[in-house]
Amino acid sequence: MRSAWFSIALLVLFVGCSSKSSTAPTGGDQDASPARPKVALIMKSLANEFFSTMADGAKTHQSEHADQYDLVVNGIKDERDLSRQVALVDEMVAAGVSAIVIAPADSKALVPALRKAKEKGVVVVNIDNRLDRDVMESESVQIPFVGPDNRAGAQKVGDFLATRLQKGDKVAVLEGIRTSFNAQQRHAGFLAAMKQAGVEVVSSQSAQWEMSQANTIAASMLSEHPEIKAILAANDSMALGAIAAVKSAGRADDVLIVGFDNISAVQSAIRDGKVLATADQYGGKLAVFGIETALQLVNDQSAAADDVETPVDLVTAETL
Amino acid sequence: MKHQLTQSVLQYAGLLGVLLLLIAVFSLSSENFFQMQTLVTIANSNPDLIFVSVGMTMVLIVGGIDLSVGSVLALGSAVLGVLMVHYEWGLLAALPVCLLATGLCGLFNGMVSVWFSIPSFIVTLGMLEMARGGSKVLTDSQSLYIGRSIEGFGEPLQSISLSPAFLVAVGSVIVGQFLLTKTVFGRYLVAIGTNAEAVRMSGIRTAPITVAAFVISGVLVGMAALAQTSRLSTADPNAAIGLELAAIAACVIGGTSLMGGRGSVIASFIGVLIIAVLQSGLAQLGVEDATKQLITGAVIILAVLLDALRSRFGKSDA
Repeated sequence: MRSAWFSIALLVLFVGCSSKSSTAPTGGDQDASPARPKVALIMKSLANEFFSTMADGAKTHQSEHADQYDLVVNGIKDERDLSRQVALVDEMVAAGVSAIVIAPADSKALVPALRKAKEKGVVVVNIDNRLDRDVMESESVQIPFVGPDNRAGAQKVGDFLATRLQKGDKVAVLEGIRTSFNAQQRHAGFLAAMKQAGVEVVSSQSAQWEMSQANTIAASMLSEHPEIKAILAANDSMALGAIAAVKSAGRADDVLIVGFDNISAVQSAIRDGKVLATADQYGGKLAVFGIETALQLVNDQSAAADDVETPVDLVTAETL
Repeated sequence: MKHQLTQSVLQYAGLLGVLLLLIAVFSLSSENFFQMQTLVTIANSNPDLIFVSVGMTMVLIVGGIDLSVGSVLALGSAVLGVLMVHYEWGLLAALPVCLLATGLCGLFNGMVSVWFSIPSFIVTLGMLEMARGGSKVLTDSQSLYIGRSIEGFGEPLQSISLSPAFLVAVGSVIVGQFLLTKTVFGRYLVAIGTNAEAVRMSGIRTAPITVAAFVISGVLVGMAALAQTSRLSTADPNAAIGLELAAIAACVIGGTSLMGGRGSVIASFIGVLIIAVLQSGLAQLGVEDATKQLITGAVIILAVLLDALRSRFGKSDA
């Protein structure tokens, strides 16, 4: 008896499934109003304040322009969950979106999935972490990047820090995940600024963008190189981790800390004098910039898919 | 024969009920969910978890646990990446080395835990760190882009829209279930998981059988590494962090006992599908991340509860 019910349920499932898929070919949905495109925003970890701010900015923008487009926002559990992010791209294509705006968790691994999305006619815009040029070339695909110049931003922060340091001083750097383009760019910007000022980088390690790892690594840097005068963190979460390490080492007064991203926690730390400077790349608007570019491309197929550079500014106690 | 079929359908009715319920809920709440393309996408995104869950089921049944699967997957992926990118090997040459590497990790897990009577929880916890470190050393902590030479396995076939990876994964489910229910090896696994001492007393050497379960798990993790690397076209040293928990969740949803002695590969497979459908459906709806986690946890518990209720009723029926 029970098995009979079960077979009926299965049958209904398969019949329903095949009939629906035959009436709605390749993700096109006829019932939806024709004018309003659906944009999928695919983020990294939404547990990270930087990305949740970005996502909130996008949601606010959508509610103000609700007549122009629909928005679906998704993130992944942690910054390294590549596999899930690739699956999200596939799922959004299957859900029939017109455009994908993505902050890739890895600059290489996402390219093939995004190429497949483009082949199905979905507009793809890259934000936050720039996709690898060589991989895009070998996959013969072009995806516009809308975002700030992280290297220039990091250099501004580094230059400002250098004004508080002497030639020959020693500093340490907390890098992001080394595979990410942003991490490489910020690292390069920091190094360039330090080199120009004649400051020596005695230790440079990756804390994977995370506060707790940054705390552990900064603490060990301080005990290994007690002479360091400053810690340059490639994002604000790691800067917060460094603050705690400096405090527990009893060095809060003589070690300067700089970050990147301008999250709200670091703004108060700057006011309190615990952090010297950070860079604002207008995180709240980064996704919106990407969405605007994507909508342009959806509405005007002939528009050129060029990179768009967005502003990065130095934030210090004076500018706040 | 007919009776047997009814029995086996009954065995999975509770689980399939949960799966169908989820599909129904998402079909009603998201306009594009109930489509071939969505279901096919879900299938093609999860062969790695299927492979791993098949191996995990065997290890759990024999009374062990394998926490190292995610890291060993990354190690296998790193082996593929390094051989194919730095040494320009073909896939057919690199794959056996990958399977050998992950199989050896399984052999190590099994031998150390059996010979020295160390709980596999601890040995595989150590392997979790070692394999992750190994994958980072091999790749120099860089993700390696491999490209089209590896994409074929994960790419959907034109004719049926399913990827070879998914088909092979389903094949491993069938072979795994056959091994478990129709062979002497399978019966020994269950017997050792239920009461290892009794099996030993009856003159059977339990060590090789337990070790074999870990080796099977290792080799299947190697296949999972191939599936994932192929889907991403990239070998990623940070791949599959936390995969062990997803695999254990899938097995437990499927009714496999963490105490050993009870479990079914097919049920674990349905467990994977439940997790995958849930993940994908919530993503299509664009549910808040925190809500996603709340719902996922609740569904895991609900599925286990339903299964417990079903087995209680099932018993009174028989």
